[in-house]
Order: sequence, then structure tokens, then C-alpha cells
Amino acid sequence: MAGRLLFICQLLVRDLRRRRTETVLLLVAITAATATLTLGLTLNEIADRPYQQTRTATAGPDVIVTPRTTGQAALDELAARTTAAGVTDHSGPFPIAYLTMTAHGRSAHAVVEGRDDAPVSIDRPAVTDGTWVRPGGVVVERAFADALGIRTGDTVSIDGHPLRVTGTAVTAARATYPYAGWHYSGSVLVERGGLVWVDRSDIATLAGSQSLSYTLNLKLADPAASATYPVGDQLTTWQAIDRLNGRLYSDAQMTLLVGSWLLSGLALAGVAGIVAGRIIGQRRRVGLLKAVGAGPAMIAAIHLAEYLVIGLAAAATGLVTGWFAAPVLIRPSAGLIGSVNAQPPALRTVIAATALALTIAVAATLVPVVRAAATSTIHALADAATPPRRRRWRIWLSRRLPTALLIGVRINARRPRRARLVTVNTLITTTALVAVLIVNTQAVHFDLGYTALANPRVERGEQATLVLTVVVCVLALVNAVVSTWTAVLDARQPLAVARTLGATPGQAGVGLALAQLLPAVPGVAVGIPAGIGLVAFVSIGEVQYPPGSWLLATALGVLLAVAALTAVPAMVATRRPVVDTLRSAPT
Amino acid sequence: MVLRARGLTRRYGRDSGLVRAVDEVDLDVPAGQALAIMGPSGCGKSTLLHLLGGLQRPTGGQVWLADRRIDTMSEWASARLRRDSLGFVFQSFHLMDELTAMENVELAALLAGQPPRRARQRALHLLERVGLADRAAHLPSALSGGQRQRVAIARALCNEPLVVLADEPTGNLDSAATLDVLRLFEELHTAGQTLVVVTHDPRIAAVADRVISMRDGAFADDRQVVGAATGTVYGRRR
Ligand SMILES: Nc1ncnc2c1ncn2[C@@H]1O[C@H](COP(=O)(O)OP(=O)(O)OP(=O)(O)O)[C@@H](O)[C@H]1O
Ligand SMILES: [Mg+2]
Repeated sequence: MAGRLLFICQLLVRDLRRRRTETVLLLVAITAATATLTLGLTLNEIADRPYQQTRTATAGPDVIVTPRTTGQAALDELAARTTAAGVTDHSGPFPIAYLTMTAHGRSAHAVVEGRDDAPVSIDRPAVTDGTWVRPGGVVVERAFADALGIRTGDTVSIDGHPLRVTGTAVTAARATYPYAGWHYSGSVLVERGGLVWVDRSDIATLAGSQSLSYTLNLKLADPAASATYPVGDQLTTWQAIDRLNGRLYSDAQMTLLVGSWLLSGLALAGVAGIVAGRIIGQRRRVGLLKAVGAGPAMIAAIHLAEYLVIGLAAAATGLVTGWFAAPVLIRPSAGLIGSVNAQPPALRTVIAATALALTIAVAATLVPVVRAAATSTIHALADAATPPRRRRWRIWLSRRLPTALLIGVRINARRPRRARLVTVNTLITTTALVAVLIVNTQAVHFDLGYTALANPRVERGEQATLVLTVVVCVLALVNAVVSTWTAVLDARQPLAVARTLGATPGQAGVGLALAQLLPAVPGVAVGIPAGIGLVAFVSIGEVQYPPGSWLLATALGVLLAVAALTAVPAMVATRRPVVDTLRSAPT
Repeated sequence: MVLRARGLTRRYGRDSGLVRAVDEVDLDVPAGQALAIMGPSGCGKSTLLHLLGGLQRPTGGQVWLADRRIDTMSEWASARLRRDSLGFVFQSFHLMDELTAMENVELAALLAGQPPRRARQRALHLLERVGLADRAAHLPSALSGGQRQRVAIARALCNEPLVVLADEPTGNLDSAATLDVLRLFEELHTAGQTLVVVTHDPRIAAVADRVISMRDGAFADDRQVVGAATGTVYGRRR
């Protein structure tokens, strides 16, 4: 047993070293899928954790009440709340005004809260820069300050009144910019806006003719109990704020999670293609191993071990990549404190990424490995490729086609599995690109743009989409090249024979390229509705469709890319003199 | 002359590594001749055959097939030429594994642009001629070596070539299978087919009406023979 293990390990190390390019390609393919999954899952935690830390650091409230009424009526309403059952402590009521802040020529809605210099027991915003409020000054919520490009010492104006920015701070009592809950007084329609604090003595001047609203922070005996409170425009809970903060990442998160399914499919197709190509090359060794007495189980173990090792390495690489990429992508909202990478990734993320990597590795390798283990020794020793399967109708059909098409169809008829991988590859690529196209159309249509400021949620969604698009394109590219190259290697001998029978190098090259292009067509054709369906399936709102010409352009683009990627190796392969190929081809 | 070569030369490498695989060869093959080329391994027989069939370009000299220069032809034109005027038979058959005997043969006709029905008829006819009509639907893996080579010969004959070029067609066969192929070549010869066969087998050479011996890329001996079976030497050139 130990001897066998040693033997397997030796072969494994030698194989990984000898086939470096393929090993690297396998790693890249699986890593892309696991990294995206990690990224998607990590956003959850990252979005959650800083709020918890901020809540602890700022003595965040459990329930926040802001009645619809204003002035004395509101104060009366709130007075009753402080003595309600389960309430152990409170701070406020603090006066509130819904105004507009202008800084550096750009305006945004601002929820202005009046505060005193003296510390309170609940909701003590943590000052991250400068000092706390003083008369004539304003403290800006950090994410809001970031969005407007405000620094301590700047001068801003609120409804025309100039104020000096004395500092920036974070709080857990309100969601970060743009979810501060701004609305026209009397309206329940919430618009994007940020929070600022001013001295209580200043707020009446700033509000002018507008009557003041009030907000009250409550602490409960059991913080979890607030989960049952009815959240609405007059009352919110810390759980609701946490969710609201998370919304900043919800687009990005959805994009990445759905993207990781697509990438898993692409990785699976890519790995299957590479493995199939490798096994063809390893057949003689399989024969030798069998000749010296290795059983099918042993053969399977040798090959599977290799892919399991690659899978594990890819899982680790993907986890690390995703984990480090997440805070870059997410720029943990400036409105919260606490470092996002203080703790290692959650166990469930590690398990999910590892399982995904191993599943891809095993699923892609099982069929060819079992097949290799089951071939007869003599056959494998003769180094004949797996006898190509005969597709009667295709051979019959292709007799009627022009030479190049005849060659293309027959190359695919020899290796239907590889042709299917091409279909899967283009299907997933087209689906992803169409989905990205629709998502982009969406963003353009739904951004009402009442402020010149970028919407941080859309920004994050777009970044995630960009990352996903790049990764999808890279993987699809790798897959296309690998698949063409294995096709070139595999079709060398039949193409050479066809050329001794008088096929021109042009016909042979075009035939080889067509062999890749033909299965790509159904992939692209199905990919368009699949992309539309995918977006319709995962998005909540109404889906805006991009113009048909865009979809068509995407489809043609994918086909063109496949053709271009294929043409080069195909032409190179057919440039080779026939005689050389015939000489080196196995008999 | 169906096939003519003047000063035909193919060199590999340079300086100390220079190999004269084929060295200034002159050759005339009249229509209907069965020519056998013999010689020790590595003397350049295969290379000569490839040059004559336009599979490889010479480094010097000229080749004509039915009075057309073929050594300077474009790759495209020489492909056409192979398609219409030449038939190749290889030592290792080079049949397509996934195609039946019939489909392997008709492939040549299809590549030459014949309609499928005509191609099929032609293939059937040829398989009958090589005695494999009953094996038409078999895959190569279900055929013996001799049968495979007969399929390959049928394929070579598919487009009624001016010349059939065969490179050690019996090299992978046992003596019984060799006899089958031998008989087939004899029949072709009788029917007036021009044949150029590279071989190590004296029996194949014995049915030829001309035998050339090669050494180090050049012709060492060139005998015309009558009554091939008896091997009577009637003339000698050079
Ligand atoms: N691609 C090549 N590069 C260098 N030398 C070559 C190449 N192909 C053939 N040769 C050399 O040319 C010479 C003739 O080769 P060729 O294959 O024609 O011999 P042959 O007579 O057919 O031998 P055999 O009877 O063994 O088949 C040999 O010495 C061979 O080593
Ligand atoms: Mg030879």
C-alpha cells in the first residue's frame, strides 16, 4: 500500500512538472470559478461585519423612532415611547431637518440632525477625523463625505447657509449614504441622501420655514426583540439598518453569485477539454502500466489524484484571491468602521469553494479517466487514440457538402464530446455577455440622476459586472484555444490523409476552423434567450431589454471571436507538409 | 511519358549534416509501365516517391506528370493534381478508423467533387474489383491487414489516376496477404495502369516490368524485364 502511494505520488509530481502549461491552464480555470464564488459569499460577511463593529463602537440603538408629525406633536408622541415595555434606555429626541447640502459645486440631499456637545448614552457617533459638532460647524457622515469629496476644514453650504466641516463620523443609528432616509417633509417617498450633524442651536436657522422633525433612539432589554417591531417610515430597527447597508452590495453580490455559476460551467467545459486532450497523450502510459500489472482502480487513482491535487490548489488560490479581492471591490463603506479582513474567511465559504473546485475536477475527469482505465492493454500500447466513434447520419449528410464543410462535419463526428464542449463554452459565454448587456441597459434606464453624484450601489454593481465580464472572457478564450488545439492535434492524421487525396491546405484549414465554428452556432443561438432568461429570473424589477441589434452584434462578436481564435492554429497546422504528418502519425 | 523527372534532387540539412536523400535522378515512366524501386533502408525511396507525387518539393530538378510541371505548382494546384491524377498507397494504410471500407473509398471521389450517388457506385465497383464487396460496411478495425491495404488500393484507384504511387504496400503484411496485394497489382498492370511501387519484396519486384535499384539517393541499376513472372532480362540501361 505504502509503495503504491509512493508510486502514485512520484508519477503525480512528474506529470505536473512535465505538463506545466496544461497544469497552469487547469489551475486558472478552476481558480476563476472558486474565486468568484468566494467573492460573492464574502460580500455577505463583509457587508455585515463592519456594521456590527460600528454598532458596538458607537453604542448603537436597537430601535429608532421618527414620527411623521413635526414640532411639539412629535415630541409628545415620542415622550410616551421612552416608557414603553422592554425599553431600558433612550437618547434624544434630536431635531431633524431634510435639507440640501452643496459642496464643491455639487449638491445632494442631506438629513441634518441637531446634537449637543455633551455625550449621550445611546448613539454616540464615532468621530473618524476632526472634532465633534460645535456652533457654526458641521460633521459629515463618512460615506457621504467620501461621495461628495468633502474633507475636514472645507466649507459647505446647507440651504444657502455656509458651514465649516469640523469632522467626519460614523453611526449605527442610520444607514450609510445613500440610504440615510431622506424625504420631502410630509412625503413617505424616500430618496437618496446622506447624514450630517450640526449643533442643536443651529438647526432652526438652517431649517428656516420648515418645521422640525424629531428622532428618538431606544435601547431594549433584549436587542433581538426589535426584529419583531413593525418597520416603516416612522420606525426602524438595527436589523433593518443592517439590511439597508447590505443593499449597497446586493447588486454586486447577485452578479457575482450568478456569475460564479456561469464560471463554474465554463471551468467545467475547459477542464473537460484539457483532460480529454491529456488522456489521449497518456494512453501509451496507461498501456505500459497495465502491462506491468496495474489494475483499473490503480490507473484511475493515478489520474484522479492529479486532478484532485490541482483542484485543491485551485480552491486555495481561489479562496485567497476572492478574499483579498473582496474589500477592494467593495471598499467597505466608509460609513462604517472596522477592518474587513481581520478574520479568516467563514468556514462555509471555505467549504463551498473547496467543494466547487473538487466537483469541477472530478466531474470533468471521471469519464475519460474511467475510459482510460477500462481500455484494453494492447489497444493502449498501440497508442491508438480512443477509436473515434462513427456517426452514421453525419457521415451520410456530409457527403453532400462542399469539401471544407465535409471535413469540418467529419472532424466533429469523430469527437462529438469535444464538439459539445465548444457548444457549452459559447453558450455560457453568450449567456454571460447578454446578461451583462441587459444589466448595463438597466442601470442606464433606472438612474434618475437628480444628483450629479454617482450611486455607490450602482458603482459596486458595475465593478462586479466588469470583473465578471473580464474573467468570463479570459476563461472563454482559454477554452477556445485549448479546444482548437486538441482538435488540431487529433485531426492531424485524417487531415493529412485528406490532403494526399487532394484536399487543398485551404480546405483542410477551413474545415478545421468550421469544426469549431459549427458547434458554436447553436451555443450562441441558445445563449441569447438564456441570457435574457437568466436576468429575468434573478432580477426583481421589470427587465429592460437592449435593442435587438445589440444582441445580434454580441452573437456575431462571439462567433467572430471563435472563428478568429480557431483560424490561426488551424492554418498553422495545415501549413505543415503532409509528409511530416504522415510519418509521425501512429499507424 | 506519363511521369518524367530530370535532375531531381532532395537534400536535408547542410554542411556536415547534409543528407542527399535523392540525388540528381533522371526518370521516365511510360504509360502502362509497372516500375519497382528497390534498395536498402534510407536510400531515398520514399523521398523519391513523395517528390514524384507532389507531396514534397524537390530542392532541385524538375518533375512532369503528363507533360505538366508539378514541382513548381502551388500547393492548391498540386492538391488538385493529387485529387484527379494520382493515387497513393502507404505501408500503414492510413484509412480513417471511423469510416467503413466503402466510405473510405468514396471519400476520394467526394473530395474530387463527384455527386454522392456516383461516388458510392464507383466505390462499390472498386471494392468488388479488390474482392471486398462483402466487406463494404466493415470498419477498418474489423478488417485484416491485407484487406485494409486492398481498401487503400481501391481508394487510390477511385479517381482513375494516371499513376498509382505505392510506398512499401506489403511492408506490414504477412506472406498470404502479400500475395493478395501482389495479385491485385498484377491485375492492375494487365489492365494498363501505370504503377510505381517502392518495395523490399522481390516477389513484388518480380511482377514489375522494370526494376530500379537505389543507393544513397541515386539509381544504381535500372533493368527492363519481359515476362515478369519468369524474370527474363532483356535489356539493360546505363
Ligand atoms: N525530414 C527529414 N530530415 C532529415 N533527413 C531526412 C528527413 N526525411 C528523410 N531523411 C533522410 O533521407 C534519407 C532517405 O529517407 P527515405 O525515407 O526516403 O528512405 P527510404 O529509402 O524510404 O528508407 P526505408 O526503406 O527505411 O523506408 C534517409 O537517410 C533519411 O534519414
Ligand atoms: Mg521508406
